[in-house]
Amino acid sequence: MKNYLNIKEKVKDTMSDSLSISVPSKPEYVSIVRLTASAIAYGIGFNIEQIEDIKVAISEACTNVIKHGKCEISDNYQIDFLMDEEKMTICIEDNGNGFCRNDVCEPDLSSPKEGGLGIFIIQTLMDDVRIATEVGKGTSIQMIKYLGVDF
Amino acid sequence: MPLNIISKFNESENLWMMNLAGEIDIYTANKLKESLTKVLNEKSESVKIDCEELDYIDSTGLGVLIGTLKRLKQDDKNIIIYKPKPNILKLLNITGLNKIFIVEGE
Repeated sequence: MKNYLNIKEKVKDTMSDSLSISVPSKPEYVSIVRLTASAIAYGIGFNIEQIEDIKVAISEACTNVIKHGKCEISDNYQIDFLMDEEKMTICIEDNGNGFCRNDVCEPDLSSPKEGGLGIFIIQTLMDDVRIATEVGKGTSIQMIKYLGVDF
Repeated sequence: MPLNIISKFNESENLWMMNLAGEIDIYTANKLKESLTKVLNEKSESVKIDCEELDYIDSTGLGVLIGTLKRLKQDDKNIIIYKPKPNILKLLNITGLNKIFIVEGE
């Protein structure tokens, strides 16, 4: 968690703008997060495909917070958007159960599972993903999408 | 955005036609799950999911479809994803699920 905070501070130093929202830990608010992320991404010039990637990635992160976070239903979690001329950085933090990083792997098509795709999807759709997680203490995800880069 | 679901059994093709319009995420995925369970309890046949008006899906929706496919495979039936939008097709491709579901009209 500490490492993540250092990263965030470093990122903030070089950023020109930031926007933070506090979101209730309830499923019905994830679509609002998607709309917010789309509007910000559109504003800095991402194309439609990149905006769709960002929408899915941020939803997956919110879904993880709601499903695995220890937040009471009345609790909020924080999302920070950091924007500059070359990229958009999104930071999401929860105080949930954390997870074992070895559990994240490519989907096994011979026995597909109903869950466990979220982090894999985030890592595939975003350009740079940093996850700080500690079992019992929570998870922070920082994800970056660069303008003009399309893998 | 809400999720609207219209299900109808197609006698000539002997499968369920399910039209999805809107978005499938953690909030609406359960509605999809309930609809699929309801129709399959009535008749366990393949399901053709018309995605022409489906704007968004993520792992919560894909998870419901995977769970349903597992059930259908026991009866040797399938899920057909019909006319997915480019963003949905991309998600199916990167997760490899395009090889598990039948994708038509892309």
